[in-house]
Amino acid sequence: MLLEIENLSKVYGKSCGQCIALTGDDMGTAICPVCGAVVAVNRINLRVEDNEVLGIVGESGSGKSTLLQLIYRDTKTTEGKMFFREMQGEDGEPVDIAGLNMMETVLMRNTMMAMIYQNPRLGLNFLFSGGGNIAEKVIAAGQRNYEDIRKSACYFFEKTDLPVSRIDQSPETFSGGQQQRIQIAKALAASPRLLLLDEPTTGLDVSVQAQILDMIRVLQKELSFSMIVVSHDLGVIRHLTDITVVMRNGSIVEQGLTDQVLEDPQHVYTQLLVSSVL
Amino acid sequence: MVEISFAFFDEDAKKEIRRAILKGIALPGYIVPFASREMPLARGWGTGGLQISLSIITEADTIKVIDQGCDASVNAVNIREFIVATTDVRATSTTGEASIIQTRHRVPETALTEEQVLVFQVPTPDVLTVVEPDTDKQKKMHAHLEYSKLWVLLYEDTASFGDSRIASRYPVEVNDHFIMDPSPIPRYDIPRLNDNPALMLFGAGREKRIYAIPPYTKVKPIVFDDRSFQMEDFTGKSCMRCGAENVFFDTLKKDGEVQYYCSDSDFCDQTLESRKSHAS
Repeated sequence: MLLEIENLSKVYGKSCGQCIALTGDDMGTAICPVCGAVVAVNRINLRVEDNEVLGIVGESGSGKSTLLQLIYRDTKTTEGKMFFREMQGEDGEPVDIAGLNMMETVLMRNTMMAMIYQNPRLGLNFLFSGGGNIAEKVIAAGQRNYEDIRKSACYFFEKTDLPVSRIDQSPETFSGGQQQRIQIAKALAASPRLLLLDEPTTGLDVSVQAQILDMIRVLQKELSFSMIVVSHDLGVIRHLTDITVVMRNGSIVEQGLTDQVLEDPQHVYTQLLVSSVL
Repeated sequence: MVEISFAFFDEDAKKEIRRAILKGIALPGYIVPFASREMPLARGWGTGGLQISLSIITEADTIKVIDQGCDASVNAVNIREFIVATTDVRATSTTGEASIIQTRHRVPETALTEEQVLVFQVPTPDVLTVVEPDTDKQKKMHAHLEYSKLWVLLYEDTASFGDSRIASRYPVEVNDHFIMDPSPIPRYDIPRLNDNPALMLFGAGREKRIYAIPPYTKVKPIVFDDRSFQMEDFTGKSCMRCGAENVFFDTLKKDGEVQYYCSDSDFCDQTLESRKSHAS
């Protein structure tokens, strides 16, 4: 078990205390009828195994991205626990990463878990060069030898099919697809056990999408890490994932093997989702 | 006429600044905020250093003020005269005689002693400003020793130019902990910060910050394991005026030729004098 999430909830706004119980898919809303707070993630339970690829689908506002941000500690959890096997306490047992301080969070992000955002501007530092962005992760992991840092940067540039000759240029000068590749290279430089991808190919043209998805799949097999992929594009989910979770109003409405969920959807909402593919 | 108290400040002001200094000494390289006073000198012209000098000075002290190594620069003269006018202490240009040396952007050539305090004027106290403009984040980064962004700058410069492009204000790690801005001293002076017997205090008046390097503290420039720290190279050069070698030089261009002069005017005078006395 790499990641185990128990009863995870996130409330935006001032909570009246009953928000979580009064919302969710059973209630048909993510907005608390009493106080108006938004329950973006509602008592989610999830498990991710080693080398497993988990997909999260759902409509806009269903809480997919918030769930990912909670795992990556971009936002604070309201309730619930998350155990990440790589992050261990003094007793060797996994600790609840919802309670990590900033230093531990930085350590986790630099050496165990990485995130790829839809917008490269969120994941990359545009003040640094492409290579510099990758170097930042390598340096943060404790490397202080210039030649080794340089080698790592070149290695990950090559791995993600980027032109090494342009390694010292700003991400600004790269195309959208290439910026996404730099983001992936940067994420991989942290040698993550878990990679989080938030709409990794949305906004790219279809041929580039296919190339990047193929690349991610190859790298995942080669370097062996687990992934959580958030997308509203069922094609991406079908292409990348083993397990699929369907979310609506902050709750999980259906989960199972990707093939099963997409071929034989049980929940009404999943049926609607699958049938509405263009 | 209103009587001005000793060293311009009232005792409460001095106490507040001294407390900041003490905290800075207790936490080498840590940036301590203080209530920077309005001075009869524009901010950015050495008010940080001046406030430190005024709050630590006693009747028994001897003051020396230099600007880029020079005692006769307008800024240095003004600050020195102001300190003398408000304290009546003795002023000197001889490094060895001074107990407090306020400096802008240089460490004197003459080795300092345990009895001396070197006060730096600092324009930009936080070394992280270059990579992170948000002061709140800077504080957190210092707290977590999260300096990888500084190293990325070093990596990028090394990749493109073979070495860091930083000519002055080279980041230093103090006491194996915080990374600190040494004020815009040239690289040449960086090794002098290490294990120095003198107390070194840094004041940024505009930015309202004080920090310190206690005597005999380990100070090392940030540099990759497989690279070495490079300084300005003056091999084979000597001062046009006094003939000194192995010091930091000011360079002047005259008739298409580069001329070298000691940046430290007191050191230059002394070398010249000893040459003369040897000759006679």
